[in-house]
Amino acid sequence: MAISAATKAATDALAVNRAPTSVNAQEVHRWLQSFTWEFDKNRSKYPTKYKMANDTKEQFKLIAKEYARMESVKDERQFGSLQDVLTRVDAANKVHPKWNETMKVISNFLEVGEYNAIAATGMLWDSASAPEQKNGYLAQTLDEIRHTNQCGYVNYYFTKHGQDAAGHNDARRTRTIGPLWKGMKRVFSDGFISGDAVECSINLQLVGEACFTNPLIVAVTEWAAANGDEITPTVFLSIETDELRHMANGYQTIVSIANDEAASKYLNTDLNNAFWTQQKYFTPVLGMAFEYGSHFKVEPWVKTWNRWVYEDWGGIWIGRLGKYGVESPASLRDAKKDAYWAHHDLFLLAYALWPTGFFRLTLPTQEEMDWFEENYPGWYEHYGKILEEWKARGCEDPSSGFIPLMWFIENNHPIYIDRVSQVPFCPDLCKGASTLRVHEYNGKKHTFSDDWGERMWLTEPERYECQNMFEQYAGRELSEVIAELHGVRSDGKTLIAQPHTDKDGKMWTLDDIKALNCVFSDPVDAL
Amino acid sequence: MANYKVHDNPVRDEWTAKIGQLKTLSKGHTFLNNFRKTHTTPLRENFDLELDWGWIECKIEEKVALLKHAELDDHQFLNNCICGADAQEVADTAVAAMDACTDKYEAEKLHINFRIDCKPPVMPTNVFMDADRLLGTKLMELRNTNYYALSLEELRIERGVKVITVQ
Ligand SMILES: [Fe+2]
Ligand SMILES: [Fe+2]
Repeated sequence: MAISAATKAATDALAVNRAPTSVNAQEVHRWLQSFTWEFDKNRSKYPTKYKMANDTKEQFKLIAKEYARMESVKDERQFGSLQDVLTRVDAANKVHPKWNETMKVISNFLEVGEYNAIAATGMLWDSASAPEQKNGYLAQTLDEIRHTNQCGYVNYYFTKHGQDAAGHNDARRTRTIGPLWKGMKRVFSDGFISGDAVECSINLQLVGEACFTNPLIVAVTEWAAANGDEITPTVFLSIETDELRHMANGYQTIVSIANDEAASKYLNTDLNNAFWTQQKYFTPVLGMAFEYGSHFKVEPWVKTWNRWVYEDWGGIWIGRLGKYGVESPASLRDAKKDAYWAHHDLFLLAYALWPTGFFRLTLPTQEEMDWFEENYPGWYEHYGKILEEWKARGCEDPSSGFIPLMWFIENNHPIYIDRVSQVPFCPDLCKGASTLRVHEYNGKKHTFSDDWGERMWLTEPERYECQNMFEQYAGRELSEVIAELHGVRSDGKTLIAQPHTDKDGKMWTLDDIKALNCVFSDPVDAL
Repeated sequence: MANYKVHDNPVRDEWTAKIGQLKTLSKGHTFLNNFRKTHTTPLRENFDLELDWGWIECKIEEKVALLKHAELDDHQFLNNCICGADAQEVADTAVAAMDACTDKYEAEKLHINFRIDCKPPVMPTNVFMDADRLLGTKLMELRNTNYYALSLEELRIERGVKVITVQ
C-alpha cells in the first residue's frame, strides 16, 4: 500500500535525524538544533523594516524534553500548593480586602498581556529565518500559553475560594466601560502585535519583559505577600522564572538585526517609541495599584521604578546592547519625571471614575495618608486635601448622592483622554508631566498629553483610531451605560465597582447612580 | 451626540435595512467602496458614523462576500477582484507605485487607498495580504527615516493639523 507524502516525509526526516534514545539534555539539544525550517520561498506574513540574519543563535537552551519536564514540575508545585496547602489554610480569605481588589486588575490585565504575547511570539517565529532563533520564539509561545492559563487561574482561584468574587470572574465583560482597559490594550495588545514585527519584539521582549516584568511580576509578589496574599507569589514567581529566557529572546532579536543597515536607521526610534508606549501606562498604573491598592506598604513606587526601570534596564541592560548600536531611549528622562507624581494623578481620576471600573477602590486611611506624605513630600497639600474633601462629602456612601466625578465638573476641571496611550489626565490638577494639546485633523479633534505620544500620532495617525469613553458615550446617562455594558453583579442592580471595601458599608446600585443624573459629555466639544 | 445603545441602535438598524437591499455583486461592490470612502480611514469624508462604522462595514463585507460566492466560480474566487480584474496584476501595480514613491504622505495615501479599494472581499485574501505587507513595509521605512528631523511645531504644519490648544 502506498504511504502518504506526509508519512514518507516524516520517515525520511527520521532517517536523517534519528530521535535520541536517551534523555541526555545536551543530546536532545543537539538533535533539536539539527531541525531546520526550510521553505522554498521563505518570507514572513508580517511587515518589517528589518532583515533578520539567518545564522542567529538562540539562547533558549532547554527545550523539548528538558523544557517540558521543568515546566511540568513547576506546574505541579504551583497547582499543588494552591489546591492543597493554601486552600486548607483558607489563604484567599486572609488577603487584605484592598489587595483582593487589586488582584482583580493585575491578574486579569496580565492575562491579556500573556495572551497577546502568544500571538507576538508566533509572529516572530514567522518573521525569523534562523532555525535556532525560530526555536527560541516557538518555545516562548509555549511559555506564554502557560502564563495565560496561570493568570486566568489566579482569578478563578480568588473567585472560588476568596472574598467578593465579582470582578475576579468574567472581568472582560466590563471592558468597554472605563478607560483602564483601553490603555491596557494599547500596551499589551497593540504594542505587542501591530506594526513592524521587530518593533513588536522590542515592545514585548526588550521593554515589556526586560524592563517592566521586574516591577510588575516581581514587585507584585512582595506587595502581595505583605498584604496577606500567598496565592499571587506562588503563581507569579513561577511565571517570572520563564521571563529570563524571554529577555534572552529579545536580546537575540537585536543580535539578529545588528548587521542590517536598517538597524542604524530605525532601531533607536523604535526602542524609544516602545519604551514610551509601555511606560506611559505602566508607570502610573502599577504605582497606583501597589500604593493605593494595598494596606501594608513595601517601598515607594518611585524607588522601585528608579532601581529597575532607570538603573537596571536603562543603564545596565541597554548598556549591554550598546555594542549593537542601541542607545538608552531619550524618553527615559521624561519618564523619570513622571514616575514621581503620575500614579497619584491617576488615582484621583480612577477614584473619581470608580463606577466605570470592575473592582473596588478605597480612599487611603489616615495611617496610609501619613505614609504618602512621608514618602512624597507635598502629597497632602495637593492630593490629601482633595481626598479629605471627597470623604467629608460622603463619597463612599450611596445616600450621599455624591461621586467625585461631580467634584471635577463643579470645579471645572475637565478630564481628557490621551489619544495615543488612552490614559486619562486632568491638566488642571496633574503634578506629573502631562500637558494638554488638542489638534483638529480632517474634521476630528484629538487630544494628547506629551511630546513623544503626539509625535507618534502625527507620524502614524491611523494607528490610534480608538474612541475614548467621552466620544463613545457623549449624551448618555452613566447608569444606563453601566447597565448595558455589564457592570453589575449577579443581582442585576448592584455595581461590581464600589468606592470602598467596607464589609458593613452600603453598596451602590444602578438606582443610586441614576439619581445623580451624570451625563457623559466630550470635553473637547467646549474647545 | 449618540444617545442610544452601543449594540442595538437605530443607526445599525437603518444600515442593516440598506444592506438587505443589495441583490447583485456589482451593486454591493459600489456600495462598499462608497461606504469606505465616506466613513472609514483617516481620509474619510465625515465622522457621522464615528461610533458604528466598523460594525456596518463588517456587515456590508459579509453581504458582499455572500454575493461573491453566488456569482463567481472557484477560479475567479481565488484569482480575480470582484470587478473581474486579475488580482495579482492589481496588487503588482499598487506595489510598483509604492516602490517608486519617496514621499511618506503620498505613500500613506497609496496604502490607505489600496485598502479602501481592495480590502477583502473585494480582492482575494491570499493576494491582498501579501501586497498589504509590502506596502506597509515601505510606508514604515519612509515614515521612520529621519524620524526626529522636524520639531513638533514643524511636524504639525506638515501633517496639516489645526492646533486648537497647546498648553
Ligand atoms: Fe509571559
Ligand atoms: Fe514572557
